[in-house]
Amino acid sequence: MSKTYFDETHCAIGHPKSTFMQWMLTVDHKRIGLMYAAVMFTFFFVAVATALAMRFELFAPGAQFMDGDTFNQAFTLHGVIMIFLFIVPGIPAIFGNIVMPLMIGAKDVSFPRLNWFTFWLYIAGCIIAVSSLWVGEGFADTGWTFYAPYSLNTGTNVIMTLVAAFVLGMASILTGLNFLVTIHRLRAPGMGFFQMPLFVWGIYATAWIQLLATPVVGITLILAILEKYFGIGIFDPSKGGDPVLFEHLFWIYSHPAVYLMILPAFGIMSEIIPTFSRKEIFGYRTIALSSASIAGIGYLVWGHHLFTSGMSDMAKVIFSFLTFFVAIPTGIKFYDWVATMYGGKIVLSTPMLWALGTLITFAIGGLTGVTIAMVGVDIHLQDTYYSVAHFHYAMLGGVAFLLFAGMHYWFPLCFGKMYSEKHAKNAFYLQFIGFNMLWFPMFIAGYLGMPRRYFDYLPEFQIYHQVSFFGAVIFITGLVYMFVTFYKGIKNGEKTTPNPWNATTLEWHLPSAPPPLENHSKVPYVDFRPYEYKHGEPVVKFDYVTMKRID
Amino acid sequence: METTNVDYKAERAGYYKVLVGLLLLTAVTFIQPHMFMTDSNFMVQMFIGTVKAWMILIYYMHLKGEKLIGWSVLFSLLLVVFFYIMVIIDVNHFQFLDLSHITSEVTSSGAANASAAH
Amino acid sequence: MGHEYVPEIATDRDGNEYEVQGWQGDFYGGKLGFWLFMLTEVMMFGAMFLALTYYFSLHTADFVNASASLNRYLGGFNTVILLVSALTMGLGLLKMRVGDIKGAKLMIWATIILAIVFLGVKAVEWTAEYNHGVFLGLDALQSGNAHSKPFGEILFFGLYFTMTGLHGFHIIIGIGLMLWLLKRINANKVNQGHHILHFNIALYWDLVHLIWVFVFPYFYMIGAGDVTGGAH
Repeated sequence: MSKTYFDETHCAIGHPKSTFMQWMLTVDHKRIGLMYAAVMFTFFFVAVATALAMRFELFAPGAQFMDGDTFNQAFTLHGVIMIFLFIVPGIPAIFGNIVMPLMIGAKDVSFPRLNWFTFWLYIAGCIIAVSSLWVGEGFADTGWTFYAPYSLNTGTNVIMTLVAAFVLGMASILTGLNFLVTIHRLRAPGMGFFQMPLFVWGIYATAWIQLLATPVVGITLILAILEKYFGIGIFDPSKGGDPVLFEHLFWIYSHPAVYLMILPAFGIMSEIIPTFSRKEIFGYRTIALSSASIAGIGYLVWGHHLFTSGMSDMAKVIFSFLTFFVAIPTGIKFYDWVATMYGGKIVLSTPMLWALGTLITFAIGGLTGVTIAMVGVDIHLQDTYYSVAHFHYAMLGGVAFLLFAGMHYWFPLCFGKMYSEKHAKNAFYLQFIGFNMLWFPMFIAGYLGMPRRYFDYLPEFQIYHQVSFFGAVIFITGLVYMFVTFYKGIKNGEKTTPNPWNATTLEWHLPSAPPPLENHSKVPYVDFRPYEYKHGEPVVKFDYVTMKRID
Repeated sequence: METTNVDYKAERAGYYKVLVGLLLLTAVTFIQPHMFMTDSNFMVQMFIGTVKAWMILIYYMHLKGEKLIGWSVLFSLLLVVFFYIMVIIDVNHFQFLDLSHITSEVTSSGAANASAAH
Repeated sequence: MGHEYVPEIATDRDGNEYEVQGWQGDFYGGKLGFWLFMLTEVMMFGAMFLALTYYFSLHTADFVNASASLNRYLGGFNTVILLVSALTMGLGLLKMRVGDIKGAKLMIWATIILAIVFLGVKAVEWTAEYNHGVFLGLDALQSGNAHSKPFGEILFFGLYFTMTGLHGFHIIIGIGLMLWLLKRINANKVNQGHHILHFNIALYWDLVHLIWVFVFPYFYMIGAGDVTGGAH
């Protein structure tokens, strides 16, 4: 049995003997990715628990066991963890690290030690964010957006949360920087940009957003901190500052950030669909370029968050107009995926189920987004449960679902073992049903006028909240079920071959599963397209020792 | 960057030439408000700044001939320019000038009024 | 890590050989990475200039008045200091590339001294402003008291202290980086054949200079000359 990346590693400092220190100091991209996953899902469950607590509170009108202030802190905690700790680093930090270098045939990322440092920066950010729960007046109660002037006046621990968001932002920037250089420099010989797997395209587009948008929010948070400490006046209306400027600067980052979340998720979709349709992807170039153009257009549309904030009418019209353009490349991707499946030999394995489920949920999430891109409709629906349902359909039903899909897809690669497909499928159905039951009623409640971020509501909304509650219980059951299935898979799953799915991209052409420390036994020469199938079988075959083509 | 075949004298001369150019432009910065185009002081100052920045980028930062890096720089600058355009459009079409207490009409008549109401 | 890196060779089906680019010893990769980092700085200061422009277009007259009260000659002096320091940094890199280690170190020391002079001048300016009652936290920059300045001037000075302060912070970081560079040169970790660190720190120093090229006119020069006239 050859050694895998679990058995040996390179370290940032020295050559520690203990396994624990080897994990702490590792610069191996696969190990770092796994550690990111472990930390992120820990926080993910904290945020899920917070959300469930809020659902309990909302089960009946009036205050049951949470007062308004606690509720404010609860949804801020939920938002901050889910956004800054989980979904923004999310797919790039986990799968960008684990599979992206494998896909381009690299030994590691361009700056392995920077990668290690980034991970610990991320951990530092997490610690600062969470520790503010126990310091002073408790966690911030501003919502994850920290809108001025309230965030400047509230007595809660906003500054620590702002610092945490800044540190996490730096980690995000450095991740993006590392991936950009890696993709530009370390592709295997022969692999041009248009021979890269589409997940790499997703990571590439995302990395540009991480790099160029995050500094804007970074400086905004610093300005807010300076405002709170020194009173520079910039967001304080009593000194002539304009809170709308804060919203501008904040959303200049935070809108591109949602594309930062979804683009690598789309990349995962583009990997799974051709693999399980056993067919070359339809419109490779259009998918690749639509990733790039979503990233580009994403910078131009931030103003649609400010329709009710007192922005000028002129700017509202321009932003509303520009926002519609996002739907075009997204639509192109959807048609390409569906066209890929047409006439393919579809294999309904768990990753494919997740991908198909996401096609439905994300379509709902995306199209409801188009409705609130219209200024007039948005005036009615802004800050109601409609927008809550919209972005949960897009973020949870899009990004997180595809992250789960990716976890099922790359699980055998990471661990060399297989989970129980039967249980994994059951978990999917539970979550899919629970998810729709949880969020769909909110569209209706929001349309009828239920405002978001309230701990109390009028009696006529009770039915929607109660359906949501039961949906939440089913969803969380499915979630726990899924992780138990994973755990059992890691513990005593069946051993797999390096390429259990008959996939074509380079990460499946490794000498062993799990892969050895320095990935491919030799760097291959790439003279093929990423998804070549003929009669339902992969075209390209390698000798895994010499990495020469043998087809 | 190649370490062999460095034409030391030519490159050093280049550095000094750029320095002289930058010093001259700095001098122009000082003379301009008193000498010419005083009506569009701000625009002229920013233009001079842009020329100086250009010289630093191209010669001091060796951007000449860098394709990928050059395009990246251009792309990020264009993004910033777009942010400026949109935010300035927003500010200049702000329709609640009379109602707002943070805008210039109120400030010139005295900040004390506005903050007294606070 | 540490030992000499030998690039791998990939072979295609016709037996042609291609050298594989590894992450080790990748000069262009290091340069690209640092440029990307500098783009984040550009976006950061870009956002601050955006805030500045936002309020400049709301309070043009106040900004021009406030700018007129700054000490233009000290600002100009600092501009020249930074200009010369960019030259010494560049010459230091040039000397490093031809293998003149001693000359390179001398030039880095010169840059450090110029940077300290810059900070000294900055300190003199801030002290003078403090003595005039214009500083963060003092009455003039608070609202609702007898000394309060108009909104536009409060915002101007708020941003002035923030941006020059942040720029000064970058200068301090730069001094730290240069000291570290000297240490690495002494340990022969940076030399003629392996000078990416020197190259990137020189780039960083140019960026710090570049930011000042815009900070200086935006704060010091918009109020020069005709005080009531000016921009737009």
